[in-house]
Amino acid sequence: MVTTVTLILAAVILALLAVGMGWVLGWASRVFYVEVDPKVEAINDALPGANCGGCGYVGCGAYADALGSGEEEDVTLCGPGGVSCAEAVAAILGIEMTETWPYKAVVHCAAHWDDRLEKMEYTGERTCTAANLVAGYQGCTFGCLGLGDCERACDYDAIHVIDGLSTVDYEACTGCKQCSMACPRNIITMVPFKRSEMLVVACSNHDMGKDVSKVCTVGCLGCMSCTRESDLMEMDNNLSSICYDDYEQCEDFEAITGKCKRASLVWVGTPTEADIAATADEEVPDRIEVDFKTTVDDTEWRG
Amino acid sequence: METVSSLILIFIGAALINNFVLHYFVGICPFLGVSRRVDTAFGMGLAVTFVITIASFLSWVFTYYILRPGAPLPLWVWNVMGGAEGATVDLSVLSYIMYIFVIASSVQFVEMYVRKFQPKLYESFGVFLPLITTNCAILFACLEIMKHLQDPTQLWGLHEALVLAIGGGVGFTIAISLMAGIREELDLADVPEALKGAGIALIVAGIMAMAFMGFTGVDRGVEQALMALIGR
Repeated sequence: MVTTVTLILAAVILALLAVGMGWVLGWASRVFYVEVDPKVEAINDALPGANCGGCGYVGCGAYADALGSGEEEDVTLCGPGGVSCAEAVAAILGIEMTETWPYKAVVHCAAHWDDRLEKMEYTGERTCTAANLVAGYQGCTFGCLGLGDCERACDYDAIHVIDGLSTVDYEACTGCKQCSMACPRNIITMVPFKRSEMLVVACSNHDMGKDVSKVCTVGCLGCMSCTRESDLMEMDNNLSSICYDDYEQCEDFEAITGKCKRASLVWVGTPTEADIAATADEEVPDRIEVDFKTTVDDTEWRG
Repeated sequence: METVSSLILIFIGAALINNFVLHYFVGICPFLGVSRRVDTAFGMGLAVTFVITIASFLSWVFTYYILRPGAPLPLWVWNVMGGAEGATVDLSVLSYIMYIFVIASSVQFVEMYVRKFQPKLYESFGVFLPLITTNCAILFACLEIMKHLQDPTQLWGLHEALVLAIGGGVGFTIAISLMAGIREELDLADVPEALKGAGIALIVAGIMAMAFMGFTGVDRGVEQALMALIGR
């Protein structure tokens, strides 16, 4: 008798509670309904959801809010999402999108470890931020320190220190700006990749040519040869720079690069087919693919 | 006066001596997960205090009138059915499912309410509210209250249940804020490679738990002090 009553009572109470709570919540969801702009939700779905903060907002949700409310008009701020994401967002907002290009990281330094002069022995902490505080880690006070702050900041395994110089893997780079924010010398900038391969000034040294040649074998001397050749090039405080707004108009890049006596003007990005053909007979190290197998599986434990 | 001193003892017991996180080790997931920055940790602590109070209120009502042995509702049903005198229907097996149910739906309700009428508040801890639904500290508080509703001679009233809940919430806030403060400093410390992240966090939590052991016996001193106060 006791068991039967307990069972029935338990079932009845739970059923009543379920119905009651369901009714209350259903009522509440209608009474407390908050109108959310369907546009904002659609934009939120279109964004990658990486919450990297590259757009300048706290996360994808905040960027979607700003776009939906009209506070932010630029749909191209999302680096990881790239062009397809910007197009999707523009379609949701019903606006025409001007042509855009993916922004990717460019390291404005070309000096590998052996190219740098006036180096000193450094035994401090192996981070760029620490080495940047001491004078004389290397002669050049503008160039890459090569201790890998950017490598550690990268979530996409797209930047690596190779032979003392940070080198971007453009197939993996999403343009999230984390490396440029991590660099204590601010030599990593975001460049619009209007073609798959871009010409960049791979030097950040604003010193006079004489001083540059003392500390580096490849850096820009500020000789102005390239600026005389093309309007694309400008002089900025003893350092040549490229005006990317006019990049499409320029036809003859060979003439510009030919004028440079140092190694300051370099091509970065995905190589074109002509480049691959030209270097076919040279030995190139294999591209290392990421292998996610854990080491635990094939470790033998002995004693 | 007697009640007030017992309430003070319950509060100190829940907040410091038997701190939910550092003595019973419940609510560890938010304690480790949301303790990276002091301001978010404090927000999480306040949200937990808020939810734990509401959940404890509801669970006390349900336990007192339905679940405990000899509760009015089952007794009434038993008498209506014409059951024999002396035997009682005990529904306390339903406690877990009931508490989870009550916590989840009340949190949902509170979230909707806050979102509608307090958008600022919703933005500041709206993210944490759904997380708290599955926080074991809340369930622990409900079960602790149920424990004190088992013996018909020493039943806890609603005020005692609420004081326990608020004390538990305050204790959680203290623990998580302290942890966040330590972890902010820990970012600058030279931690061995193998212990970085969760490892050192757990070690710190263990040391904090040992430190909180020092509160053992404080209740007896407070009790004596209160007694002396009443006596005078």
